Amino acid sequence: MRRRTGKGVLREGARMGRRRTTTYAALLCALLLLTACSALTPGNAADPDRPRTVPSSTAVPRGEGDITLRLTFADAPAMVDALVAAFHKKHPRITIEPRYTQFADYVKSIKLTMASDTAPDLAQFAVGMDDIAARGDILDLAPYRDAYGWRKKFPAASLDQLTGSGRRASSGRRLYGVPAGLSMTGIYYNKALARKAGITRPPRTLAEFGRQLAAVKRAGMTPLGVGALDSGGLHLWAALVNNAMPPKAYRNWVKGTAGATIETPRTLAATRKLVEWSRKGYFNESANGTTQTDTTAQFARGESVFLINGNWAAGQLSEAMGKDAGFFLLPGERPGARAVSSGFSVSYAISSRTKHPQAAGAFLDFLGSRQAAKIVSDNGFLPPDESAVPVPEGVLGEVARAHRRVTADNGMNHFPDFTAPNMLDPLRAGVQKLIAGRTTPEAYLDSLQDVWQDRYGGGS
Amino acid sequence: MNTASRAERWTGQALLAVLAIAVVIPFLSVFLASMQPSGEPVVGMSWPERWSLDNYRQAWTVAGFSELMRSSLLIAVGVVPASLVLAGLAGYALGTMRLPGGDGVAALFVAGLTIPVELIVVPLYFDLRGVGLTDSYLGVILVEIALFMPFGVFWMRTHFRTTPAALVEAARIDGASSWTILTRVLLPLARPSLTTLGVLVFMWSWNQFLLVLVLMQDAAKRTAPAGLGFFVGQNNTDVPMLAAGTILVMLPITIVYLLFQRSFVSGLLRGAFKG
Amino acid sequence: MSRAKEPSARTAPRRARTWRDYRGYLYVLPALAVYLTFAVLPALHTAYLSLFEWDGVTLGSWVGLGNYREVFADPALRGSVVNALVLIVFFAFLPILAGLAMTGLLARHRRRGMGVYRLLFMLPQVVPLVAVGVTWRWLYGDDGLINETLGGIGLGGWARAWLGDFDWALVAVGLVGTWVLSGLCMMLFLSGVQKIDPQLYEAARLDGAGPVREFVSVTLPQLRGELAVALTVTTVAALASFDIVYVTTGGGPGEETTVPGLLVYRLAFSDGKVGLASALGVLLSLLILVIVYIVNRLSRPETPERSLRPGSAVRSRS
Repeated sequence: MRRRTGKGVLREGARMGRRRTTTYAALLCALLLLTACSALTPGNAADPDRPRTVPSSTAVPRGEGDITLRLTFADAPAMVDALVAAFHKKHPRITIEPRYTQFADYVKSIKLTMASDTAPDLAQFAVGMDDIAARGDILDLAPYRDAYGWRKKFPAASLDQLTGSGRRASSGRRLYGVPAGLSMTGIYYNKALARKAGITRPPRTLAEFGRQLAAVKRAGMTPLGVGALDSGGLHLWAALVNNAMPPKAYRNWVKGTAGATIETPRTLAATRKLVEWSRKGYFNESANGTTQTDTTAQFARGESVFLINGNWAAGQLSEAMGKDAGFFLLPGERPGARAVSSGFSVSYAISSRTKHPQAAGAFLDFLGSRQAAKIVSDNGFLPPDESAVPVPEGVLGEVARAHRRVTADNGMNHFPDFTAPNMLDPLRAGVQKLIAGRTTPEAYLDSLQDVWQDRYGGGS
Repeated sequence: MNTASRAERWTGQALLAVLAIAVVIPFLSVFLASMQPSGEPVVGMSWPERWSLDNYRQAWTVAGFSELMRSSLLIAVGVVPASLVLAGLAGYALGTMRLPGGDGVAALFVAGLTIPVELIVVPLYFDLRGVGLTDSYLGVILVEIALFMPFGVFWMRTHFRTTPAALVEAARIDGASSWTILTRVLLPLARPSLTTLGVLVFMWSWNQFLLVLVLMQDAAKRTAPAGLGFFVGQNNTDVPMLAAGTILVMLPITIVYLLFQRSFVSGLLRGAFKG
Repeated sequence: MSRAKEPSARTAPRRARTWRDYRGYLYVLPALAVYLTFAVLPALHTAYLSLFEWDGVTLGSWVGLGNYREVFADPALRGSVVNALVLIVFFAFLPILAGLAMTGLLARHRRRGMGVYRLLFMLPQVVPLVAVGVTWRWLYGDDGLINETLGGIGLGGWARAWLGDFDWALVAVGLVGTWVLSGLCMMLFLSGVQKIDPQLYEAARLDGAGPVREFVSVTLPQLRGELAVALTVTTVAALASFDIVYVTTGGGPGEETTVPGLLVYRLAFSDGKVGLASALGVLLSLLILVIVYIVNRLSRPETPERSLRPGSAVRSRS
């Protein structure tokens, strides 16, 4: 008679487990004791002896031989390589070794990286950097700002985004990073398709934009491409909110100023607008299942008339659509309202563990130079000093002009996910629920405020 | 057994064919997509007008799949032999010798069979970072060896327990040391079991995702699956190129599977799994 | 050799143990050291961390079982566990049902070409789940094969972005699991059936059993061991389903497809809630352990002599 052989992987375990439970338990206990002794409380307190701010002198000390700086970053590798090479040409003694990490991981690991003893000298500024600043792992750059005159080289709004958050943000005296390239969101449109729907110019008010969306819908086309699977939905929501909320109130919220709230009648109305558009079928049908890149590709193929995305898509769209591509900022309620948008900069901070703060400072100052602006612009980002480069042609030019208006109106806001490291998921998932009609605008705003409260602790 | 009715026979055959098609179609659609012109949107499943390997070239060089595959291979080459040696030795002792407390130790190993990566990955990141073993092949290799060790020890112990005791006894009477018994007498007999264990460990190592995602922050040292997961996360629109990358990631393990199908099937059908 | 024939350690005549008895441990030590250091210790460390509120950097603070309370209280965390349990339907029940159905249809006669089918059906189990996920992401896409096919057969109204649909995303993810695991279950049962004593079938047929009764009274009971293995493997795959979810939906839309593994990763490495992530990891492991234990308890044969230990075949022959 044939018998079956081994499928006893688990049964065997159970059998032995019964027989030797005691030995096993004893072993476990011993190990548990061992860990308990060695680990104690996880983590460590900040080291009070480390410098919190850069030295007052900007001069790179001489006679030290060559200096090597390590730079960790997550955006635009080609741009960083070019910047680093140009900087090295100018300062042959200083070599910068860039190390690229993809953005999603970068945000996850940057806190730990900067807290370790082997932290790199320079790091790209990202969500959560404010905590790192609070711990003293990156240096306050205020002395360099004054010594180098950065206030003249960089737009006020982008420096303002780098001054820390929470209780520390109030004064604006500190500075934790310097921007290289800037980013901004807005609406792209397909000029040829828009004409078919009777649209000949960018809307001047939100109501006019609503009418244009309706006209496109009537013409049998998809009005607005929203890549809500990742960040497209929250960009649209932020654009609506930025136009509804006074910039100061919004910025206070993102920065965690005590008492700030996102639950205001105006944000509620803006959120309801998004729900209304969704209900009227203005978005691509599967917005929740489509990424930003996919909606961009669909838009380039003429599958939607409008698209919400950022300046980073301009190069691709300009190439694919040529003169047909256009760009405008989501308009406010009244014509001629303040030009606002969301965006952030590709900025860099200096580790408080660096041995060469002056050399690192020299690199940051270089980012404000004309030469750097040219490199930044060539790589599809908006340079901090816009006068340094000529306004490009086509949709790239429309993006650049829109950005100048925002800068002139001091209308540049943080992306909403900069509020807290764990804000991105509630935003992304929340907008998806709004689009699908699975939550109310009130409940959505409430959930965001909960996360805010969790981080900035009862600001009331 | 020829009593089965004709209808039953045909239903079975037809069902098998349908299921086979269901298995093949996803693979086929990726393959066809990988043959489309680079950068084109891929709609449904369409026959490419012109076959070309451009996407593979692109994925291999530009997208860096060559480095990803090298990392994967490097890790697997570190994990497989070490797992075989360590599991073989431990299985030998626990399976043939009467060790005091031996069953307890064996139970300790078996208890690890259901440890999911989720349970250990968090402290591993912090602990290994403290000793400089993150972003390091060695770190991932050591953890994978540990992770697959419960099954390895269990598998080899089971194998050695089934070898006839008389064989070992005879050698012992001849004065052979335990080491000689292992290398001269038992090892040649253990080859099929070791082969099965080897291919299974290779598969688990090749397919490991979460662990690498956490322990390898350095994109240059990522393994093939982790790299692929990232490319998708990065929302690359070049579907044909990504499809080529997907095929590249599946290819080595598929080849090993075809070469060692007997070992694979016998291992998998005995419930070899790694949670 | 079999355990039963040799005196077990407990019944052996007591004598003083010498170092020679322990010498064999030299063989075990390397494996044990690696295993303890890189698997057991981290697992215990997780349990330890789960008692703290810790952001991964600054000094943590002791919260006792607070993190466990939060896992049960927070709807998002609880929801992830519920989602994982729902996935069991797709990862475990459907494949096992499919496998049993196939076995019922194919068990009664051998056929040629099974080798090729076997090779094919096991393939989804062999390739990286990440690659499987990426593949299905395209199949489920807007212009993907599934929507195109629906359109082609006049069901265009059903077309949707499956992975972005609040009602369908979890089902869509689950069906990927069904696709991966069905072949394995099928092959597992078919190979189990081959080992059933043909006399049992002949006896059943002499009693006038039809195909259905034959299946229920002979095949099913004899497959108990395989069922246990299948249920264990597939359930663990469902509960620890990080890879597929990560590449297909990332947990969306909303929180429809979040699973514990995804949240462990997210909480620990991006939200700075290491303690909470650890607590979730511990609970997930406990859940797996309990289910594996129950499955094996239920499937254990009544009489210990029929215990299907590895090596039983060899013993019965010798």
